[in-house]
Amino acid sequence: MYGGGNVFEAMKATALAEEDPKELAKFEARIDRGEKIEPKDWMPQLYRKQLIRMIEQHAHSEIIGALPEGTWITRAPGFKRKLALMAKVQDEVGHAQLLYSAAETLGKPREQMLDDLVTGKSKYSNIFNYPAFTWADSCFISWLVDAGAIVNQVANSKGSYGPYCRALERICAEESFHLKYGHHCVIHLATGTKKQQEMMQAAVNRWWAPMMHFFGPSDKISVHSDILMRWKVKMASNDECRQQFLDMYVPKIWELGLTLPDENLHKNLETGMWEFTEPDWEEFKRVINGDGPCNKERLAVRRMAEERGRWVRKALLAPKTKYVAPLA
Amino acid sequence: MTLKSLDPRVKRLGIPEEWDTPLSPKETLDQFENYEAFIQVKEGKALEHVGPVHAPNEEMAFLFAKEQYSRRGMFCNALCVVKTENIIGTEFSDNGISIYDAVTAQPSGIENQSYEVFHLLKRGKQHKYVGTVMAKDFEDALVVAKHTYPSQKPVFNVWIAESEHILTSNEEDKDMWETLKEKQYREAIDYKGQDRIKAYKERMGQA
Ligand SMILES: [Fe+2]
Ligand SMILES: [Fe+2]
Ligand SMILES: [Fe+2]
Repeated sequence: MYGGGNVFEAMKATALAEEDPKELAKFEARIDRGEKIEPKDWMPQLYRKQLIRMIEQHAHSEIIGALPEGTWITRAPGFKRKLALMAKVQDEVGHAQLLYSAAETLGKPREQMLDDLVTGKSKYSNIFNYPAFTWADSCFISWLVDAGAIVNQVANSKGSYGPYCRALERICAEESFHLKYGHHCVIHLATGTKKQQEMMQAAVNRWWAPMMHFFGPSDKISVHSDILMRWKVKMASNDECRQQFLDMYVPKIWELGLTLPDENLHKNLETGMWEFTEPDWEEFKRVINGDGPCNKERLAVRRMAEERGRWVRKALLAPKTKYVAPLA
Repeated sequence: MTLKSLDPRVKRLGIPEEWDTPLSPKETLDQFENYEAFIQVKEGKALEHVGPVHAPNEEMAFLFAKEQYSRRGMFCNALCVVKTENIIGTEFSDNGISIYDAVTAQPSGIENQSYEVFHLLKRGKQHKYVGTVMAKDFEDALVVAKHTYPSQKPVFNVWIAESEHILTSNEEDKDMWETLKEKQYREAIDYKGQDRIKAYKERMGQA
C-alpha cells in the first residue's frame, strides 16, 4: 500500500457466510472499540488474505522503490548528499524488512513473498516502473513520492492490525527525514542556477502523471469495498489521499517557481476540492500489468540479487533450525 | 542480449535480458530464522520489544537488530535478542482481565532454571521486560512471575524465555551507541530550507 494503486483480491460473496458468526461479531466489536487485532486472535480469512496482500505489496514497494534512488547514490552531488541518500535508501530497505515481518505474522513466509515478487505474482507501487533520468528525478522521488507514501502510511497506521500499525509508526518517524531531505534537495535545484531550475522542472514534468496515478484509480471507477473500510484494513479512499496530497504539496511546489504540467489543475474554492485533468487510467493499467519503461529492469535486478546471493545464504544456514513466525 | 539500463551499475552487471530458466523457488529458511529484538531507550527504563529480525545466528541477529532498530536518534542504551522459537507466550486475555487470573498453581519451590519475563499491558503496544525468575520449567516460571511481579494494571500477555537464550549488549561495550551523535544527517532537523525559499522569493519580488 505504498500507493493507493493497491490490488485487492476479488471477493466472493460467500466468503463471509462461511465464517463463524459468533467469532465474527466479537472480532468486529473489537475493531469498533478501536482495539488492535493481534496475530493470535481469531480473524476472518478474508481479513487475513487482504492484509497479507496489502502489507506484502507495501514491502515490495519499499524494496523496488529503493532501486531508482539507489542509482543516484554514487552520482549524488557532494559528500553530504551521498551520505543522506545512502541513509534514506537504507531506511527504505529497512522498511521492507519491518513490513515483511508484519505480513509473516499472518502466515506467509518471507521466502514465498520474495519469490512472488520476482515472478510477478505480487505487485508493487506502479510509480517505480519509471526511470530516474537525472539527479533531479531522484530529488522528486525523495520529496514527493515519499510525501505521497506518507499520506497513505499515516492513514494506515491507524488501521486495525497491530503488527502493521507498529511497523508503520516506526516507518513514519523515519519518513519525516526523507521528506525534509527531499524537500531540501528540490529547494536547492529550484532556487539555483538556470540550468538547475530547468533540470528540476523537467523532472517534475516527467513525474507528474505517475504521481497522479500513485494513489490509484478514482473511487468512482475502482473496486471499492466497504467491508475493508469497516475492518480498518483500508483507512482512506484513493481520492481522499490524492486530495490531501494535492492540498499539502501543490502550494509548496508552486512557491518554488515550478509549474505543474496540467493546465486544469486548480483548487475549486467553493467545494474545497482540487480539480485536474483525469489521469490516463489505461496507461496506469498497462504499466501495472508489466508494460512500463522499467518493469523488466526492476524485476531483473531483484532476480539477479536473489540468484547471486544464494550461495551466501546457503553457506550461513544452520542445518538444524526450524521456521517460527515472528510473535508480534 | 544484456539488459539495457540508465543505471551504469546495472549495465556493468551484465544481467541477461531473458533468463533461460524460471527462478527456482526459495528453499525453506533461505531467509533464516526469526529473532525478537528488545531495546532499552534510556538508563533505568525497561527493555521493550521493538520487532523481529531474520538472521542465521544470534550474533548476526544482534547486528541486524542494531542496524534495524537503533541506527538513528540518541535513544538506545542496551539491546537484546532472543530466538523467536525460544520465547513461550501465554494466551491473550481480553482487556480488563489479567492473564494471570487463570494461573492458580503455586510455585514449585524448585529453582534450578533462570527465566526472563516480559509483560504486555496494552493491546496494540509492545512487551516490556519485568525481571528474572528462578523456576522448574516454563509453567512454573509463569506462576513464580505472577507472585514476584504483581502488576497494578491487568497483564494482557506474557512472554517467557530462558535467561541463557538471551543475548544482551555488554555494559562495557556501551560506547558503541555513541556514534549515534555523529549521525545527525539521518534526522529531519538537519534539513532546513526556509531561509533559501525566503531569499528566493525576495529575489523574485525584486526582479
Ligand atoms: Fe519507506
Ligand atoms: Fe520512498
Ligand atoms: Fe521514504
